[in-house]
Amino acid sequence: MIAVLDYGIGNLRSAEKALQHLGADARLVDDPDLAAGADGVVLPGVGAFGRCAEALRSTGLDRAASSAVERGVPFLGICIGFQLLYEGSEEDPSHPGLAVLPGVVRRLPPGVKHPQMQWNRLEPVPGTGDGLLAGVPDPAWVYFVHSYAPDVTADTSSTCEYGGTVTASAERGTVWGTQFHPEKSGTVGLGILANFVDAVHGVER
Amino acid sequence: MDLYPAIDIRDGGAVRLTQGDFGRQRVYGDPLDLARRLASGGAPWLHVVDLDAARRGKPANRPAVLAIAGAVDVPVQAGGGVRSEADVVELLEGGVARVVLGTVAVEDPELLAAVAARYPGRVAVGVDYRRSADGRTEVAVRGWEERGGQSVDDLLSRLDGVGAAAVIVTAIDRDGTLAGPDLDGLGAVLDATTIPVIASGGVGTVADLAALARLEAAGDPGGPGGRGPARRLLGAITGKALVDGRMTVEEAVAACARSV
Repeated sequence: MIAVLDYGIGNLRSAEKALQHLGADARLVDDPDLAAGADGVVLPGVGAFGRCAEALRSTGLDRAASSAVERGVPFLGICIGFQLLYEGSEEDPSHPGLAVLPGVVRRLPPGVKHPQMQWNRLEPVPGTGDGLLAGVPDPAWVYFVHSYAPDVTADTSSTCEYGGTVTASAERGTVWGTQFHPEKSGTVGLGILANFVDAVHGVER
Repeated sequence: MDLYPAIDIRDGGAVRLTQGDFGRQRVYGDPLDLARRLASGGAPWLHVVDLDAARRGKPANRPAVLAIAGAVDVPVQAGGGVRSEADVVELLEGGVARVVLGTVAVEDPELLAAVAARYPGRVAVGVDYRRSADGRTEVAVRGWEERGGQSVDDLLSRLDGVGAAAVIVTAIDRDGTLAGPDLDGLGAVLDATTIPVIASGGVGTVADLAALARLEAAGDPGGPGGRGPARRLLGAITGKALVDGRMTVEEAVAACARSV
C-alpha cells in the first residue's frame, strides 16, 4: 500500500488518483500508525511552507514520514512536500523542515514572474537517469507551480531554467522528490510516478 | 505558447456554441470523457467553462468542472460564473490550477485584487469583446448577453497592477466560427498590456495556431532599444476545431511550438 499523507492541507486527490491509475494501491492516510506500515509514502503539499510544516507536525505524520525514510521505504515528496524534506525554507524560517536532505529552500531568482506557473523543460543531471527519471524522454516538459525551490545540491537529479538554474527534482537513496507536479505533467509525469510505483513494488528496471 | 483545448459545459454536457449564441449549439457528449481524451492526446492544459453559470452567475456544473480537475493529469483552467471569493476558493482548493474571472472583474475590481493577492499566479481575467462597425471594441459580460460599457483598452489599463496572472482575450464574433483569430485585435492587446495573454476565438486550422504563435515575436521588440515591453502570449484556446476533428491535439500542440 502506498500512503499519500493526508495532513489537512487541501486537495490531494490528484496524486492519489494518478497513482491508482497506474495500478497502485494508493490511499489517503491521516493515521500515523497506518502510514508507518506502508510500502511507499507520498508527501504532497500545496500553499505555504510554514503552514504545511505546521500541519504535518500537528497531525503526527512528520514522525511517520521520518520513520518511513529511516526504514528505507520508497518516499516521494511533491512540490511543498518535496521542500519539506529539506532543513527549512526562506519562506517561513521559523518552521524547520524534516531535514532528510541537506540544504535550504530559497526564493526563485529575481527578474522572473513569481510564482513560476507553467510547463518547463527538465534538464537531467548527467548520471541520474536510472531512478526517478528512468525512461524520461528528451526533451521532457513538466508542470510547475512554485515561488521557492531547494538549493541545487549533490542530491539534485534535474533542474529547470527559470531566471537561473532551479532544482526540479532530487534523489538520495530511497528518498525522491519533485518540485514540479508529476500528477499534472501528462504522460511524462505518469512515467515518473510509474518509476516510483515500480520502486515500491521492487520491480527491477 | 501552450494549447488550451476548451470544454464548455451546459446542462451537464460538453457543447460548442457559435459566437456565444445559446441558440446555436452542438453537443459533444460527456465533458469528463472529452477531457480525458484531450489530456491523454497530449494537451498541456484544459480550459473548462461552465456556460450555465456564466449566464446566470450561479454555479451550475461545478461538480463536473471539479471532476475534470481531479481526473486529468494536466492542469485545468476554469471559468464561467466565478463571481465571489467563495467560488474562487472552491475551485482552486478543489484542484483547479487557475480560475478565470469575467463579469466580476469588470464590476468588482476590489474582489479581483483580493483573490489575486490570496492566490498569486492562479487568477486570470476574461476579457470578452465585440467589435462595432466603426472598429471600436466593447467588453461583454454575463455570458456575453450584456454589454459592459467598457472598451478593451480601458479594462486592460484598469487591470494593470491588480495582480492578474493572465488575461484571456476572446473575440466573440470569431468564437465558434473557425474563421481565424482576430490577429489585429490581439496584436493591439499584446502591445497594450504587460499581463500575459491567452488568445481565444476563431481558431480553425493549424495555420491559425501558427499565426498566433508568430504574434508574440512580431511585436515591438522589448527591452533596451524597444519602445515597449515584450509581447507575452501564454496560450491559445481552441474549441470546435479540435472536437470536430479538424486537427488532432498532437498537430495543434506542434503548431503552437510549445516554448517557454
